[in-house]
Amino acid sequence: MTILSVRNLNKYYDDGVHALKDVSFEVKKGEFLGVIGLSGSGKSTLLRCINRLIEPTEGEISLNGQSITDADKTELRVHRSKMGMIFQHFNLINRKTVLENILLGKLGSMGTLSAILGKYSAQDKKRALELLDIVGLADKAQKRADELSGGQKQRVAIARSLMQNPEILLADEPVASLDPATSHSVMKYLEKANKDLGTTILCNLHFLSLVREYTDRVIALRKGELVYEGSSQSIDKEWFSKIYGDQAKEVEIR
Amino acid sequence: MSSVYKNKALRERKKALTAAWIIDYFLCYYFLFSAYFLIIMFQGYDDPAEELQVKTLIWLFPAAIVMNLIVSKFFSTPGKALLERTNKFLKGFNKEKTESRSFLKSFSGVSILILIALTFIIGFKVTNVSLYALFNKDGLRGASRIVNALANPNLNILGEVLKQMLVTIYTAFIATAFAIPIAFLASFLGARNLMKDSLTSKITYNVVRFIFNVIRSVEPLIWAIIFSIWVTIGPFCGTLALMLHSVASLGKLYSEQIENIDDGPLEAIQATGANKIQVIWNAVVPQIVLPYLSFTIYRWDINVRMATVIGLVGAGGIGKLLLQYQGQGQWNEVGTIAIVIAIVVWAMDFLSARIREALS
Repeated sequence: MTILSVRNLNKYYDDGVHALKDVSFEVKKGEFLGVIGLSGSGKSTLLRCINRLIEPTEGEISLNGQSITDADKTELRVHRSKMGMIFQHFNLINRKTVLENILLGKLGSMGTLSAILGKYSAQDKKRALELLDIVGLADKAQKRADELSGGQKQRVAIARSLMQNPEILLADEPVASLDPATSHSVMKYLEKANKDLGTTILCNLHFLSLVREYTDRVIALRKGELVYEGSSQSIDKEWFSKIYGDQAKEVEIR
Repeated sequence: MSSVYKNKALRERKKALTAAWIIDYFLCYYFLFSAYFLIIMFQGYDDPAEELQVKTLIWLFPAAIVMNLIVSKFFSTPGKALLERTNKFLKGFNKEKTESRSFLKSFSGVSILILIALTFIIGFKVTNVSLYALFNKDGLRGASRIVNALANPNLNILGEVLKQMLVTIYTAFIATAFAIPIAFLASFLGARNLMKDSLTSKITYNVVRFIFNVIRSVEPLIWAIIFSIWVTIGPFCGTLALMLHSVASLGKLYSEQIENIDDGPLEAIQATGANKIQVIWNAVVPQIVLPYLSFTIYRWDINVRMATVIGLVGAGGIGKLLLQYQGQGQWNEVGTIAIVIAIVVWAMDFLSARIREALS
């Protein structure tokens, strides 16, 4: 079943750069879809167009058959609350505790006043602690976010996005600023969210080895164009040079 | 689709060229004005500024247009050179031209150097820089008399001085305290990165920034004069003047702080589906609390000094007392006041520096 569909998506930036060219694809419910491509190929723009952190110029995006691109402000907030997002630089609120950071995932479904006063329900707090346990940081609940290591921060970010009970998780280079060992641990938690909680994941990745190991299917962007769509295992040498250029050599992360 | 953007680029380029033309026009006018000033100066007038004819100054406006048209036809002018370096739509437009010669050897470099030289010459003349006046015997004697008196302060008036100093410190405190909430709320409206979503917010941003700039560019001294007529002279008029100026200054500093925050957390909170107020409260405020505190304490420190100065125009406090004794030539008393002001300013400076250090 299709959960997210992107049709003829185009994005022009103000300076005239054509960042996405007629990109179309679908994401099936429950799958772990990888997005690959060089830096500047439009991966981040694509992800941000899906929850409209960046306004798409043309095209149609829909979640469960409901249009995101046509949504007004209120509808967009509802759509966003159904899509978790994690970032390369984690983007936690450094001065807040780990638990507070996770609870921020609830903002989309809260009133303005109760959010300002920090009045989260007992149920939410319980859920936040459960998620913290799932990402293996149960003992860090009261630590300030800036006291954590990079990998731990990303796990908190995963918990924050899972707090939204998302139908789909958008992950923008989640391991690009982590060392190889930590990368695998973070990817394992994403895999867990995918396999155990059934969360659909759309994930930008740099390393093909990670793509092969963790994703079911992969799409590739080159200069804003979708140039490959298929099984993660079947990217061969020929496709590799199409996606990354003839000069490129594959580097592995173990 | 892409033609729309080509048009946009063309439009931006036109805008940039217009801005360059205005800069060049101003420089041309300034050059003609300087030439006019020099001509009068070399005719031997003591105060050339007094001799400037308004009529001639008006005639220079069209003359500068002609000059600009001629000059920009043959040379790459400073305004264009400036915008070519800063505006992304003009960058690369004239690549070989700007990169082939170093800036100072180019026409625009030479003309800027000439204008700077002219400014120095005229500036020395206008400000009457004179070594004779500085080392004149009578002048030196007078100065030493006053310095002597200042160094022998009359401590009998210390009680009165301290009382007025307290008035000044409280003036500064109340002005700062009332400025904080207003500046805090206004700063979000004056931050470009929060106000770029719709046309209304862009307009609000520009209006708020404009008001900040207007209020800030009028000195507290002038505001105190205005308020002294409004609420009559006294500490209240000083408080209002300082408060208004502080709202604008803090507002601008606060807004700039918001513009410098890390966008990442902002994106992350937006992505959860939070509304604007929730985003600001959870992603912006935690990032600005410490700098805000630090700016505010610094501002209080500035306001104590400013409160002294605006006391001179009737805002009460130590400034008023200073004016009294200075007017009567009672230099020993002035010395007492000067010493108290120095100690308080030094203490505030020290305290605020320490607190700001502890905060960062």
